[in-house]
Amino acid sequence: MAAAYENENIPQSSAEKSERKTGLKDKIKNFKRIKWFAKRGPLDVTFLTLVLLLMAFGLVMLFSASYANARYNYGDSFHFIKDQIVFAVVGVVGMLVISFIDYRVLNRYAFAVYLLAIVLLIIALILPPVKGDFHRWINLRYFGLRGTFQPSEIAKFAIVLLYARLIAAYGEKMKTFKYGVVPFLITFGIIAVLMLLEPHVSGTVLIFTLAAIMMFVGGTRFRWFGLAAAAAAVAVGIFLIMPGGLSYARERIDIWLDPYVDPQGDGFQTIQSLIAIGSGGIMGKGLGDSRQKYLYIPEPQNDFIFAVVCEELGFVGATIIIILFALLVWRGFIIAMRAKDKFGSMLAVGLTMQVGIQTLLNIAVVTNTVPNTGISLPFFSYGGTALLMLLFQMGVVLSISREARIDK
Amino acid sequence: MSDGISAKTKGRMALLMAIVTIIGFGVLIVRLFNIQVVNGEDYQYRATQQQLREIEISASRGDIYDRNGNIIAKSATAWTVVLSPVTIKEEKKELLATGLSEILDVDKKTVREAADKDTSYWVVKRKVEREVAEEVIAFVNENKITGVSCTEDIKRYYPYGSFASATIGFTNMDNSGAYGIEAYYEKILAGNSGKIVSAKNAKGGNMPFKHEMMYESEDGNSLVLTIDETIQHYLDKNLEIAVKEHNVGNGAMAIAYAIKTGELLGVSVKPDFDPNTPQAITDEATLALLATLEGEEYTKAVQQAQFRQWRNKAISDPYEPGSVFKIITLASALEEGIVNTGNVFGCTDAGVTIQGQTITCWKRGGHGQQTLSEIVQHSCNPAFVNIGQMVGVNKFRKYFEAFGLMETTGVDLPGEAGSIYHSDSVFGNIELASSSIGQSFKVTGLQLISAVSAAVGGGYLYEPYIVKSVIDSEGNVVEEYEPTLRRQVISEETSKVVAEMCEGVVTLGSGKLAYVPGYRIGGKTGTAEKLDKNYAEGEEKYALSFLGFAPIDDPEIAILVVLDEPEEANYGSIIAAPVVGAIMSDVLPYLGIEPQYTEEEQAAGNSKVPDVIGELVHDAHADVRNSYLTVNVVGTGATVVRQVPEAGTTVSKWSTVILYTEEGDAVEEGVVPNVVGLNVKDANDMLAAAGFSMEIIAEDPEADNLVAVAQTPEGDTALAEGNVVAVEFEVKKEDQ
Repeated sequence: MAAAYENENIPQSSAEKSERKTGLKDKIKNFKRIKWFAKRGPLDVTFLTLVLLLMAFGLVMLFSASYANARYNYGDSFHFIKDQIVFAVVGVVGMLVISFIDYRVLNRYAFAVYLLAIVLLIIALILPPVKGDFHRWINLRYFGLRGTFQPSEIAKFAIVLLYARLIAAYGEKMKTFKYGVVPFLITFGIIAVLMLLEPHVSGTVLIFTLAAIMMFVGGTRFRWFGLAAAAAAVAVGIFLIMPGGLSYARERIDIWLDPYVDPQGDGFQTIQSLIAIGSGGIMGKGLGDSRQKYLYIPEPQNDFIFAVVCEELGFVGATIIIILFALLVWRGFIIAMRAKDKFGSMLAVGLTMQVGIQTLLNIAVVTNTVPNTGISLPFFSYGGTALLMLLFQMGVVLSISREARIDK
Repeated sequence: MSDGISAKTKGRMALLMAIVTIIGFGVLIVRLFNIQVVNGEDYQYRATQQQLREIEISASRGDIYDRNGNIIAKSATAWTVVLSPVTIKEEKKELLATGLSEILDVDKKTVREAADKDTSYWVVKRKVEREVAEEVIAFVNENKITGVSCTEDIKRYYPYGSFASATIGFTNMDNSGAYGIEAYYEKILAGNSGKIVSAKNAKGGNMPFKHEMMYESEDGNSLVLTIDETIQHYLDKNLEIAVKEHNVGNGAMAIAYAIKTGELLGVSVKPDFDPNTPQAITDEATLALLATLEGEEYTKAVQQAQFRQWRNKAISDPYEPGSVFKIITLASALEEGIVNTGNVFGCTDAGVTIQGQTITCWKRGGHGQQTLSEIVQHSCNPAFVNIGQMVGVNKFRKYFEAFGLMETTGVDLPGEAGSIYHSDSVFGNIELASSSIGQSFKVTGLQLISAVSAAVGGGYLYEPYIVKSVIDSEGNVVEEYEPTLRRQVISEETSKVVAEMCEGVVTLGSGKLAYVPGYRIGGKTGTAEKLDKNYAEGEEKYALSFLGFAPIDDPEIAILVVLDEPEEANYGSIIAAPVVGAIMSDVLPYLGIEPQYTEEEQAAGNSKVPDVIGELVHDAHADVRNSYLTVNVVGTGATVVRQVPEAGTTVSKWSTVILYTEEGDAVEEGVVPNVVGLNVKDANDMLAAAGFSMEIIAEDPEADNLVAVAQTPEGDTALAEGNVVAVEFEVKKEDQ
């Protein structure tokens, strides 16, 4: 939660230590060269508008989707929306503040953030699991706080940040195997192994996709993507030979192909989701009038919130929201193309794609286009830390947009 | 930091952006289109299936009344006893099974096994009376047994039991009409059940607000039948006796038909059933047969027997009408002017030969020379064959059709069958010959009675109907059904001649046993050999019938009795006519038709009670009736086992003679009224009303102005009903 973000200060100091070795003069010089706040250009209003629009839609739909569940299970219709609004307000303010910070500051902390992600992932593995046998979350209870925190949220950002830095630093050397593949593979590999141990396959797939996209844009030769494909195959292979892995995957796929093989069990969520989407029809049942949210769809405020959106707003409303997401991706890429430097450009690509890929996967899961896996919908799904991280990252993209080279 | 982004990098970015936005999101939109638009309705249906809950508000079923407002069928609350086996404690199961099997009369073993089932719902018995349900609850409470409950249900009651059962029909377990009027008027009787549709969440709770709709139920309307409970009762009783008298093998039927409207006053079919327990087989012969069967054979036989007893023979089973049909042949010929009352017909031993086929008369040696009236009285076959030939193929067909014998009658009952007759192409003179005496084609009893009613009732052919009106639960008339005249087939004049010739059958001819003193009854016997099955010689099967109607001068009611396959081959004149006579003797006074006694019948005086013990009931009935006495038959046995007063007793005319048909029928005690001071008629009426016969003791019993001066036993003494009270009469003195 908010406190978790402050945790980033801890490795920050260790990074400073390493920099001390280069000498105090250099450090001072660096600080002078890149100021935290400098007078810069206007931010990209289109991108900001899209973010705020999606955020607004997201909050309205979260309230609509969650209140039945909140009332039945918590006795308070506002149980979920109360938290989410607080995070949204803090997040939007944070986003605007961050947009004023020179994003190049982040370049300095790329490794630090990466190390922090690894530490958090290890902590999650050590601590007792929060849900079932999954070590995906850190229960903040151990730190005297409320709620849970998902280290993979930091890991996603860490990979994007680190890759942007590496790609910017390597430049033309990206074409070689030594620079264009090896460092990326190693840094991704460590994260991937830790996440697969949680296990958190969907998160790994998401990060893998992001990593591949960044490498591709960064200039890694096409041929290495063949290798990446092979690596993916190996990863899948490893997963499949893990105890229980095969039958687990088989079940997932069977359910995907026909949810009705287990309508009351594993297929239940998918079936209820499809019924919600389908019964929405073209125009939807109207805002607030979903019936499937009345305990049919399990936890409608989380990963399956888009099903409620489809039921209430229909094909038309759902398409409008998808188009908003597509526009956000488009605008993100525009910002990336106009970025002043390669680091900023790569950062914009990574952060934008993170939203894009996550949205694609989420809706694909909800519509049973791909097998069911836990992935939330940006701006819509309930979850404080995820929303804060998302908005802060959007702040970074806005920061990049301030130095767009439009006139050149 | 490198300055700016290379074109190559931008190219890769653009490619990615295109893939994600156009292909990625494009696929999702297509997918959504497929789910929401293409398959939207399917998912909407599935959503409704799981989200909506319908609670039915049952509409109460309408009643059925006879024409006088007597309740024939009525719905009332009943209870269903249900087990929830999973909640029954193990140690109580045996006790529960014992208790329920005793209270509910169900198989103990079945209940005990059900108690072990892994289910929460098992019906022990449906449609249980209130008292029984209370007994079950008391038993369960007393023994602290869990898992037994009684839920409310609707049960249909038929207070008159087997009364017109094949016509009334019955309802299924779900209270919908299964047979008869109950089925035919299902929509009117059932009404519309309402429902409350509410949305429920996945846990079964109600969704809040606005997702609820209520559809009110509409109670069913009630039916008032044209059936008259009293007339139906006479039909049922006499038919039941007749079936026993003659061991009728293939069922029997009796129809009472209002000639001037087409109303069905009564329809009796045997074997019948009790609509309160329609599954139970009633026919004793069938029951005896069933006792010898087992397993699948038994189940099949039971099913067959059920369908047989549910079948409305009067409208569903066409039969060969035999000589009764000669009324139609006669009517056609008279209407066409082919014959007249002055014609004379010969009948010899040789019979009549049509294209090499010889038809002989039923009377050996023939009838000799006869007038038209006489051939009707004699039911002379050769004469009618000749008349048929004179009418000719075409005109015969024309009248056959005009009398409604080529179409169903259109009666408002389910399962009406049409007739079976020669097609036009094969209908030649040979077919005409057999058809003109009612053989070689089949009609239903209802078709026949409506056709004959037209022939004798002024020529008017009505559409038979059984529902007189529809009333709502408050008794307001919703719909009134009027008589439907189909057409006039023959002129009133012709019809009058036909009716009068039929009277001769009863007064002088083959239908004498249908005579009821005081009434002008017409009729025709029928003895149809069943030609469609090849029975061995000497084992031919017959359908014996008699169709009677009255009064001749203005026919109101027709009664048809058909006995299908009596044990011994016989004539309709001998066994069916007295049944109609017995029914007429009850029905005509009931209908308030003024008696028109002959002079002999009119004269006051005494009559000697004949000895009828040991006789078949209907023969005895005719004997007593024709001795100018009133008959009261007690029980439904086939023969008279006892009679009161005894044979040889002298009683005044029209005194009641009670015929007991079953051993052990209790003789009711009555109190003799004091009739001293009354005239003969009043004294007789008063004694008859109290159940006694009167013997007139007077110098001249037929003298006028007789007044009772003494009686034995005296007034206010107890005496078995049916006994004779001797009353002394004297001529009233002028000066008194």
